Amino acid sequence: MLKTVTRAPDVRDPLAAALVAAAAMAWLFTGDFGKEVLSEVAVFAIFAMSLDLLVGCAGLVSLGHAAFFALGAYAVAAFGVFVNLPMWMAMPLAVAVTAVAAAAAGFFAVRLGGVFFIMMTLAIGQMVYAFFLNSRAFNADDGMAGIGRVDFSFLALDSGEPAVFSAFAVCAAVAVFLLLRMVARSPFGHTLAALRRNEPRLRSLGCPVLRCKLAAFTLAGALAGFAGALAAQHNGFISPDLAFWTVSGEVLVMVIVGGMGSLSGAALGAALVILLRHHLAGLTEFWVFYLGVLFVLMVLFAEGGVAGMLSRLPRKLHRRGGNV
Amino acid sequence: MNKKRFVAALFTAVVFAVPAAAAEPVKIGVLLPFSGVYGGLGSDQERALGLGFDTFGRSVGGRDIALVKADTEAKPAVGLQKARELILRDRVDLLVGIVSSAVAGAVRDYVHNAGVPLFITNAGNDLLTGARCSPWIIRTSFSNSQIVRGMGPWLHGRGYRRAFLMAFDYSAGRQMMDAFRDSFTAAGGAIAGEEYPPLGQVQDFAPYLVKLKSAAPDVTFVFFAGPPAIKFAREYAAFGLSSDIPLAAAGWLTSALHIDRQGGEVDGVYSILNYVPSIANAENAAFQRAHQARFGRAGSEYGVAAYDTARLIVDALAAVGADLSDKRAFLRAVHGVSFNGPRGPFRIDPATNNIIQNIYISQVRKSARGGVTAEVLDVLPDMRDAAGGCRM
Repeated sequence: MLKTVTRAPDVRDPLAAALVAAAAMAWLFTGDFGKEVLSEVAVFAIFAMSLDLLVGCAGLVSLGHAAFFALGAYAVAAFGVFVNLPMWMAMPLAVAVTAVAAAAAGFFAVRLGGVFFIMMTLAIGQMVYAFFLNSRAFNADDGMAGIGRVDFSFLALDSGEPAVFSAFAVCAAVAVFLLLRMVARSPFGHTLAALRRNEPRLRSLGCPVLRCKLAAFTLAGALAGFAGALAAQHNGFISPDLAFWTVSGEVLVMVIVGGMGSLSGAALGAALVILLRHHLAGLTEFWVFYLGVLFVLMVLFAEGGVAGMLSRLPRKLHRRGGNV
Repeated sequence: MNKKRFVAALFTAVVFAVPAAAAEPVKIGVLLPFSGVYGGLGSDQERALGLGFDTFGRSVGGRDIALVKADTEAKPAVGLQKARELILRDRVDLLVGIVSSAVAGAVRDYVHNAGVPLFITNAGNDLLTGARCSPWIIRTSFSNSQIVRGMGPWLHGRGYRRAFLMAFDYSAGRQMMDAFRDSFTAAGGAIAGEEYPPLGQVQDFAPYLVKLKSAAPDVTFVFFAGPPAIKFAREYAAFGLSSDIPLAAAGWLTSALHIDRQGGEVDGVYSILNYVPSIANAENAAFQRAHQARFGRAGSEYGVAAYDTARLIVDALAAVGADLSDKRAFLRAVHGVSFNGPRGPFRIDPATNNIIQNIYISQVRKSARGGVTAEVLDVLPDMRDAAGGCRM
């Protein structure tokens, strides 16, 4: 067992470095539209990494993760618009609200396994969607507008500028990556990985399995809420669609395409799906179809997603070099 | 040395002169739903917009007009994303379109901050030219309250005293009913009851029609649009209510898009709207003739707003010599445009940026040729919204 843990060479951190470099290049060399797309990628990278903690690390496949994304967005909008708090205060409060909600939802969800967990998270997601769709206080299906952004005026920067906000979003994504990597490498992270591989054995060893799952669910929910709070500021507008199950499905696609169990893979998946969406949508009205075809091919032929393919690359090159 | 400099100067002149000679087109982003529930309305407006530019001019002041389409799917988040793409990536000079008020609400702040003029061709939420108005957002269609405000006094004048109100429970439904209730009670009428079925979840209006029947009003006033409108009118007739309690409606109930299919079910319905195909003026005759010739069917109230928008843009561009370097001057030119269109006199109110237009009260009647048509009974001229909290 120990041998597999120390398995070298791992391309995943080079991948993270490459992603950060690509983000920096995009920031330097694209116009305002490129920077808007960069912000979107950074926000969804956070969202996808938070889901990867559940799916890739702990093996809990959630189809309701968008519920927490939407909760974060609505909470930050409520604190910002109704209470008039500055975003620096609204954001941590929104993350706290989402964490509490995720803990409450997780209390019921983590008791279930397999397909029942998936159905439970799906139901939770649709409940949150239905709540915002019918809630007059949150403007129902019209959504909420007029959400401000974090204030960087003390640095003499205007966060309304795409350059400033995209830099902020990328920094936030890097911070979340470092945090989640720390979690994955901690004893808690190893427990989650063990849980994915053999839950009965872990249970028989006396590990508090439910508590571990609940902690993972809460952390993942809180970080999805953080992504939602950023998305709300980026767009200045939110609607109940954010919580719809297709959004949960889309972020799951990002994680699977990028590579389950790899944080940088999840971020890469978010970038790929968003860039493809922007480019395909310009080429054809049936872009969802082509995205679907790509997804099926990835699942069939690229185990471990793009990150998995990349991690096998050095070994292949090495083998080929050895043959020569 | 001199020769070299001359060649360099010549080269520079050629390089920079060529693009200047072939004037850049005026790029107009068209934000409409081409898929989803409002897909039909979106393509109806897109066609009429094209017809409008073909009629009033595909080029102004030496610049061509280029349309860039984007599908909002009638979803707010998608609409906002498309607006951003059109403004930042495609660098459009103007935006036209938006059917759904939810989409309009989503793009409002972005368009306002970007300072790109947006011509709304349908979305009727009062707030867009009321409390949330913007100097950059002009509406050529209607506001919800502008449409129905005239109906209260008119019905009261015909001797109806107790009205029953019904609309879906969303902002358009609420705004229309609020405006009707205010106008009807101000005229001296009373409300016999109100029902607001949830939007998008109603299979069957029977439970609501039972309540309506037991309230025994003199008249019913409703707002429904699209497929639910056809369904409501059918069930109202099937319940045997249409003979006892006259039905009055915001005119989308018997829209030109589907009145042919409704037939006798809507015979006798009173409707109030900013356009019916039977309006008698030369501009409307020309619009209907061109629309029928090109698309094989009558132009609708949705199409006419897009058609008029094309004329407004062409006229305003002509007034500034197609020079959009000063966008505020262009907006002033927009306020200066007025013409007689298919809907009658058309102009934009500088106080709210909403259209000032005639409102038509009509009744659906069986026509001699066998079909049904909405015949105009009364015209409420130059209906204009109060500023309603709009400060620009």
